Amino acid sequence: MNYVNGRQATSLGETNDLGKPWRYKDGDLTVTRSCPWSPPGCHPVGCGLKLYVDKEGTLVKVEGDENQPITGGRLCVRCITLKDYVYNPSRIIHPQKRDPQFRGQADKWEQITWDEAFDLMVSEVTKVKEKYGPESIVLFTGTGREGGTMKPMGAAVFGTPNYCYTQSGYACYAPRLAGTSYVMGAPDPEIDYAAAFKNRYDEEGYVLSECVILWGKDPLPSNPDGLFGHALIDMMKRGTRLITVDPRLTWLATKADYALRLRPGTDTALAMAMLHVIISEDLYDHDFIEYWTYGFEELAERVATMPPEKAAEITGVPVEDIYGAARMYARAAPAGIAWGLAVDQNPNGSQLGHCILDLMAVTGNIDVPGGQIIGGAGEGQQETGFGWSAMPTETADKMIGLKEFPAYCNAILDAHADMVLETLETEKPYPLRFGYYAGNNLLAATCAAQPKRWHDAMLKSLDYCVTLDCFMTPSAQATCDLFLPLAASPEREGTVANHYGATPTFLGITNKAIDFGEGKSDTEFCYELGKRLNPKVWSKYEDVYAYIKALRFGNKKDFATARKEVGWQREIEYHKFETGKCRQDGKLGFNTPTGRFEFYSTLFQSFGDDPLPYYLEPPYSPQKTPELLEKYPLVLTTGARTYAFFHSENRQIPFCRELNPDPLVEINPALAHRLGIADGQWVRIWNQFGSCKMKAKLTIAVDERTLMAQHGWWFPEADPDKTNPEGEYNVWLANINELVPHFHVGKMGWGAPFKCLLANIEPLNENYDTDMQEIWEKFGKLVR
Amino acid sequence: MTVYGLLVDYEWCTGCQSCEVSCKEEHGYPVGKWGIRVLEDGPWEIDDTQANWNKIPVPSDLCDLCANRTAQGRQPICVHHCLADVLQYGPVEELVKRFEEKPKQALFVPQFKPKEARGAFVSKNRAAGKVASFAAVAVEANTDFDIAGHRRPDEEVEADMAVSVILTDSIKTRSEDE
Ligand code: SF4
Ligand code: SF4
Ligand code: SF4
Repeated sequence: MNYVNGRQATSLGETNDLGKPWRYKDGDLTVTRSCPWSPPGCHPVGCGLKLYVDKEGTLVKVEGDENQPITGGRLCVRCITLKDYVYNPSRIIHPQKRDPQFRGQADKWEQITWDEAFDLMVSEVTKVKEKYGPESIVLFTGTGREGGTMKPMGAAVFGTPNYCYTQSGYACYAPRLAGTSYVMGAPDPEIDYAAAFKNRYDEEGYVLSECVILWGKDPLPSNPDGLFGHALIDMMKRGTRLITVDPRLTWLATKADYALRLRPGTDTALAMAMLHVIISEDLYDHDFIEYWTYGFEELAERVATMPPEKAAEITGVPVEDIYGAARMYARAAPAGIAWGLAVDQNPNGSQLGHCILDLMAVTGNIDVPGGQIIGGAGEGQQETGFGWSAMPTETADKMIGLKEFPAYCNAILDAHADMVLETLETEKPYPLRFGYYAGNNLLAATCAAQPKRWHDAMLKSLDYCVTLDCFMTPSAQATCDLFLPLAASPEREGTVANHYGATPTFLGITNKAIDFGEGKSDTEFCYELGKRLNPKVWSKYEDVYAYIKALRFGNKKDFATARKEVGWQREIEYHKFETGKCRQDGKLGFNTPTGRFEFYSTLFQSFGDDPLPYYLEPPYSPQKTPELLEKYPLVLTTGARTYAFFHSENRQIPFCRELNPDPLVEINPALAHRLGIADGQWVRIWNQFGSCKMKAKLTIAVDERTLMAQHGWWFPEADPDKTNPEGEYNVWLANINELVPHFHVGKMGWGAPFKCLLANIEPLNENYDTDMQEIWEKFGKLVR
Repeated sequence: MTVYGLLVDYEWCTGCQSCEVSCKEEHGYPVGKWGIRVLEDGPWEIDDTQANWNKIPVPSDLCDLCANRTAQGRQPICVHHCLADVLQYGPVEELVKRFEEKPKQALFVPQFKPKEARGAFVSKNRAAGKVASFAAVAVEANTDFDIAGHRRPDEEVEADMAVSVILTDSIKTRSEDE
């Protein structure tokens, strides 16, 4: 069979657009090829698009670009419906302001010009800086939008150290990145799906992974961290076998050799036991361990405290499956582990991450074809610190959480999320008065625990709050005073590095195809506001392209050249630790204090944590808090991904919403039967921290002790005003993050129990079903 | 005439629904209408170690096999976007050969709007003159015509009733025995 860009040649047929330039004509239409990213939000996958524009400049059709080497023109529903996002009747395309005294009143917005908006920004920022100091400015950053990665916005534009991803314990990706950099001095080990090679899986020198473990990760709907999820299917078709570690029986788990369905949050016990099996049965790679690692004996001793029999008791996974899976992974050559969000959404996650890295290392799978690919020295770190030097040290030192959680705050130059909430509430050590949302909708059960607390604290503490977005969100409606229009991906230029640039194999270019409204991209806004607020730093860039060139291309390439390439694969090298390419000093080995991969982590130790992995029960669990079981007898896990939505986005896109009209909680049919809950019935879910309502979906995907609830829900069709008893756009109706507690983080400040809580559930008589005809009427008639 | 179809490798259909949504965008089908639907069988347990969960895309009666695209030599849009790359379009004659490559495949030959395809009702038999014909004969009026019912002699009616009593008795006896 012939393959083109990862897929069967026959799927593209004989008439196709392979080899077309970045912009070309197709009949009356102009086609622009682009790798879109943000907005709509997504992980940076760099999928390829062909954007068809008519003579009037209207985007009339969106199709996958078969020239993209990884996806070959395949798309998920969120880009297939891109037109419906761009021209959605509820899109906001002009700046608007509202007097802060009218927060939450939907009819009080007034359209203004960009000039007026910039003037307002400058005067409000200056006021706050003069009265309280630059540290009184706080950025609330979200995930999957360019705004969240626009680090210079904090340090170099506003001049504040308080750039803050608002999720408790930064329970998303960064804990894994940080752990990897402590343990092996690289940002993130990705599975090797031959994404760097022109011939993909057929490239000489590439070896297909014989086994992949999906650890707390469902990559098909999520495309996690820019890994093209369906590459797993490409690999499995070619023979890769699977092990899944997931409380849920996902569709992929039904195709796995081992589906290890553990109790949520007990992953570290399982990982330690698997290490123990591999070490005690001598299934490990002797050479790699002897020459390239540090602390193996200590690790062996530590994991011996967690024999599979004990882990089976803790996790609920049959003991023979723990042995079987460990042996299968160790014997496969090569093998990869794709680790997911469950590593971060667990206060014991840093130890889990350490164990998973150890599994990769003991089996000799690091930086080998078909194993784990890793970035070279300095990869993925350039953008984090960009603009940081523009800030005086005494201001930088005021970052919230820097003293308490140096591991967290220094690794990503972010203020600690939980401490920022407390600072908003208490005004200690100083008040936060100006807020800026950088691609965030934190009240809508996305990236914040206890969103009502955030809501109240923001309203109380902030004198002024601004957002840059495409749609009015409940967060902006409730707390913002200035709404600035954000350009959607077909309206902007930019770049997208897959795997967030940590282990990059592809760099895509977002090309602009249309002008619509007055939206600016995060990059443009950053640059233009920078020129006004901090001209000393920003005058060195003569235009926004000069800024992109510096920020995204390390000054090595011009955007004008890059746009024509649309995207390119990045050559990777294997065995870099044997050639000196993993260390900044160019010496052999890894970029760690010992120069080796550290089973015994000297950095964990220096941050006050145990240098070796250990198991901790989740803060609320059947074993940790049995006294709570009478009231909250079930384990609650949240946030399983859907194809239809990216976190809180896409609810106003009718064809996305139609796939998942209502917020769902999965419940086992036997449990539902005992509780008198019917399939499709609305239920109340609650625990000691909060409560919400969802619709029951009966499925054996969860066992009888576990519930899985969706996240990110709000209802763009609902009453937007604060007088709505369920909050702006019904934001409190199905808000599962109300059940997630504040500040249960790991020792280094990382991780929070979003996926391992206790809860109870009961049937409701009321019905809150979405009327899809209403959605169609409100959002289906596009505005062009 | 060559017959075209869609071959599905449902071993790997992940249920991503890109086919469904692509088809709606391509054809302008609103909320509630679909050219293809992904049907699901599962998950249910086969035994302790394995579960059945198949997702099978099935073209609806609004699938026109992307007539506009295929006329230009393009593949249908569902084939183009399918994330798992499990849909193939082509002449049925060629697609059936691929059945031998692997298990878990299905072939669909959809019919766009079958009611329209059937067309308005036209009697073929009548057009072909295939209708019943009758003898052309002159019939005379009935001079001895009586509208009243036919009556039997009383003794014949009584004999009939006796038989029905015996039958009823025997049914009773049977049910009492039970
Ligand atoms: S994964 Fe992201 S970039 Fe790719 S098609 Fe989906 S929304 Fe678009
Ligand atoms: S072939 Fe075309 S019309 Fe048929 S289901 Fe696929 S996209 Fe829809
Ligand atoms: S697009 Fe392909 S993989 Fe996705 S549901 Fe349809 S047939 Fe299945």
